[in-house]
Amino acid sequence: MMLLAKAALGIGGTLVAAGAYTFHQGVLRVDVDEYRSGGSHVHMWVPAAAVPMVMHLVPTRHVRHACEEARDALPLVHAIIKELKKFPNADLIEIVDHEQHMQMRTRAGKLQIDVEAPDQTVHVLCPLSTIEDVTSQLEDHAPGA
Amino acid sequence: MLSNRRQFFAKAILVTATVLLLSPLGALAQSTANQSSSAPATSSASKDRWLHVRVISSDAKGETVRVNVPLELAEKVLPAINKNRLHEGKVKIDDAHVNDVDLRTIVDAIRTTKDGEFVTVQKDDCDIRVAKENNHLIVHVVDKGVREKGEAGKSQVEIRVPMKVIDALFSAGKDELDLVAALHALSAQGDTELVSVKDHENTVRVWLDSKNVTD
Repeated sequence: MMLLAKAALGIGGTLVAAGAYTFHQGVLRVDVDEYRSGGSHVHMWVPAAAVPMVMHLVPTRHVRHACEEARDALPLVHAIIKELKKFPNADLIEIVDHEQHMQMRTRAGKLQIDVEAPDQTVHVLCPLSTIEDVTSQLEDHAPGA
Repeated sequence: MLSNRRQFFAKAILVTATVLLLSPLGALAQSTANQSSSAPATSSASKDRWLHVRVISSDAKGETVRVNVPLELAEKVLPAINKNRLHEGKVKIDDAHVNDVDLRTIVDAIRTTKDGEFVTVQKDDCDIRVAKENNHLIVHVVDKGVREKGEAGKSQVEIRVPMKVIDALFSAGKDELDLVAALHALSAQGDTELVSVKDHENTVRVWLDSKNVTD
């Protein structure tokens, strides 16, 4: 019994540490449902902490290409995210008509984008800190950085 | 007795390990619940100033647009936009002339003059009033004969801008409008309605307050 308890404690402790590290930044969540024949249904949950780590595995030439494409927008995105972190719970944009509903807001330090239309539904939830990490990494790889 | 205590200790460790193991999943579930929750955002600290824009269209689509922007965010983000005439939070204007009207001279004149009505036009199809009241520049336009697609209607525009904001706007160089300075001056103002436009199809409202949600 004692051996079992020690083993459980060891495994449990390791899993807790790994889980806490993986989920300390929250979860990046993407849900896309297209309501048409052959429409795609994407439901993705990714630990936000994993995203910057995965960025290190992307071949440098692809990261550089992405940096060049987004060069003009990166400082702007960085500035917006940095400021949005000061407003963790805010309704920023809402567009409603008889058929569609689009909402962009921050909730608990996460950027939340919801689009509901008759032909598709999109929900994106991404921690602001993750976006900041990714833009920082892209800025570091930018030519002349 | 010793065996009982060992068993109790082992069970306690097992339970603790299980609880610790499940705690990240609990946190995860909580974060998901927060995400799906439709509870309105809590009001931010009163020092935060928010610029709100609301457009309500009464046409067939019945579109409503609500935009809420923290002034602090706009102040910090604007200098990061360098596109066309906008650079470092300032907009370049050609020699401060718009259709041969020297805006800077007009603003200087308005700033130094006392409260009063500067322009009053009353016609069959429209009324225009430009005035300075309580350190606010007020522009009021009523178009009585809007005709679109054969429909007649009334259009009303009311703009109310604090003079300090206009001063800040023209505080940059000769040929520039300083948007960041204007936003900074705006953030020092109390709750106020800046723009109101009403016609038979749309209602537009731009106002400033300390709430991070629209009504």
